Amino acid sequence: MTVREYVKDRCLFLLLHICCMLLAGGFLYATGYPGDYIFLLLLCWAILLTVVFGASYWKKKRYFSQMEKILEQVDQRYLLGEVMPDPVCLEDLIYRDMIRASNKSAIEKIRDIEEERKEYREFIESWVHEIKAPITGISLICENYRGEHERRIGGLNQKTWALVEMALYYARSDEVYKDYIIKKTSLHNLASEVLLKNKYLLIQSGMTAEVRCEDEVYTDEKWIAFILNQIVLNSVKYKREEGAHLCIYTERYGHGVRLVAEDNGIGIKEEEAMRVFEKGFTGSNGRKNERSTGMGLYLCKVLCGKLGIEIGAESVEGEGTRILLEFPVGDYYARESDVGLF
Amino acid sequence: MHIMIIEDDPVIRQELRQLLENSLYQVSAPGNFEGIVPFILERDPDLVLLDLNLPGESGFEICSRLRLSSEVPVIFVTGRTDFTDELNGILRGGDDYITKPFHPPVLLARIAAVLKRTKRNTGREEAVLSHKGVELDLARGCVRYECREMDMSRNELKILHYLFMKKGEIVSRVELVEALWDQQVFIDDNALSVNMTRIRGKLGRIGVQEFIETKRGMGYRI
Repeated sequence: MTVREYVKDRCLFLLLHICCMLLAGGFLYATGYPGDYIFLLLLCWAILLTVVFGASYWKKKRYFSQMEKILEQVDQRYLLGEVMPDPVCLEDLIYRDMIRASNKSAIEKIRDIEEERKEYREFIESWVHEIKAPITGISLICENYRGEHERRIGGLNQKTWALVEMALYYARSDEVYKDYIIKKTSLHNLASEVLLKNKYLLIQSGMTAEVRCEDEVYTDEKWIAFILNQIVLNSVKYKREEGAHLCIYTERYGHGVRLVAEDNGIGIKEEEAMRVFEKGFTGSNGRKNERSTGMGLYLCKVLCGKLGIEIGAESVEGEGTRILLEFPVGDYYARESDVGLF
Repeated sequence: MHIMIIEDDPVIRQELRQLLENSLYQVSAPGNFEGIVPFILERDPDLVLLDLNLPGESGFEICSRLRLSSEVPVIFVTGRTDFTDELNGILRGGDDYITKPFHPPVLLARIAAVLKRTKRNTGREEAVLSHKGVELDLARGCVRYECREMDMSRNELKILHYLFMKKGEIVSRVELVEALWDQQVFIDDNALSVNMTRIRGKLGRIGVQEFIETKRGMGYRI
């Protein structure tokens, strides 16, 4: 609030005074008062006006800058109504009460929504928990009666589970920090298990694979398995027709270990490669296949961020894609060669 | 090898029993969990698959009580994926922890690993298998026939091993590929054909003819 803005805001009030001054001056002059007296009177009037006007400006200014300061300090701005300073004039008092009433309903609404969201997340988690039993049952039955149909059902069952799991991990992605165990993890075993999980799907798709991961890292197995699973499923989805191959290997770089999942699939267009990790991005490949949610890699990126892993993609269209996961190894781990669990 | 399944879902219990029986384990799967700890101790299995969510006592409690008097290997099977459960499982003396929906090959691999680690596995697999005069020596990685020897590659050994285990049975190509995947050899049908041709060539060089029959449209048989 600058002086100019305030003057502009109060221009009617000032105009009224100026008119009154002119009228009074004119009237006194007409009734024969001497010019000096009139000038003195008007001067006093003007000084008084300026003082009153300035004082009210200063009061207002102080009130609002105090409020701005509070607004900057509170962590939730919608709580302003509760912490507003005592108002100077009636108008401000009325505004404050109104803001308080409005904020109160906003706070209630926010609380309701938070409650609803929590309930929804809990429902998703318990639902996923329930659906695990039938999915496990189906995969056991498929394994026990391995006919042509069971193999196909087994493949689809695995796909179903991957989709269900995606919902679970999406619901949980906010709370990674509450749910992990960092331990020494053999990437070889982890990658092999992920491939084994998708055995029927991969065999039916005519995929071959190779795992060469000698390096071990300190990380949480469950989350990495989920991320790897999404990457493997993507390789199947965007594979080439003949001789599709996926190679998962590790290499050392600087202070860390890099896990590379390299396939020879249809690849990603150059201009799209940067965007595959964006939420809801399906790209021209995804749209062609009409079964991409654009969530898989986005979730991978979010989870990697929370686990302190760098994820990246490199691709040559028509030749294949490389997804890179970089596990930094801190000095602490580098020195302590075998910390089991902490 | 005797494995005991403690699982309350009847469908999963039944299918698990069959899965393990197909893998040549001896299985018991009680449906009543009252007094389960003495029951386990009395039967003295080589491994216990223990579900966490049981009516009454939880899997953790059962494991803790088992550990008071027995070192039997325990694998927890659970639908929960909380890290606290996993930690709890390890602290309570579990040997491994696998979450539902598990994948049968993964479960079998974990069971085999735990049994191997706990050294209760008393040489179930013979190192030398023989059929129709042909000997497959897994330890040295070769095939012998009438004093002649031929080295085999890792993949070729795995294929032969599977065929030797199923002597006289027709093994379909899909089944072979799947069995190889279980052994972490992730190949496809074409690669299998290449390997088969190589095996036949190598067998031919040591004088073994028509050892592996091809049943058109069905698979292989030795």
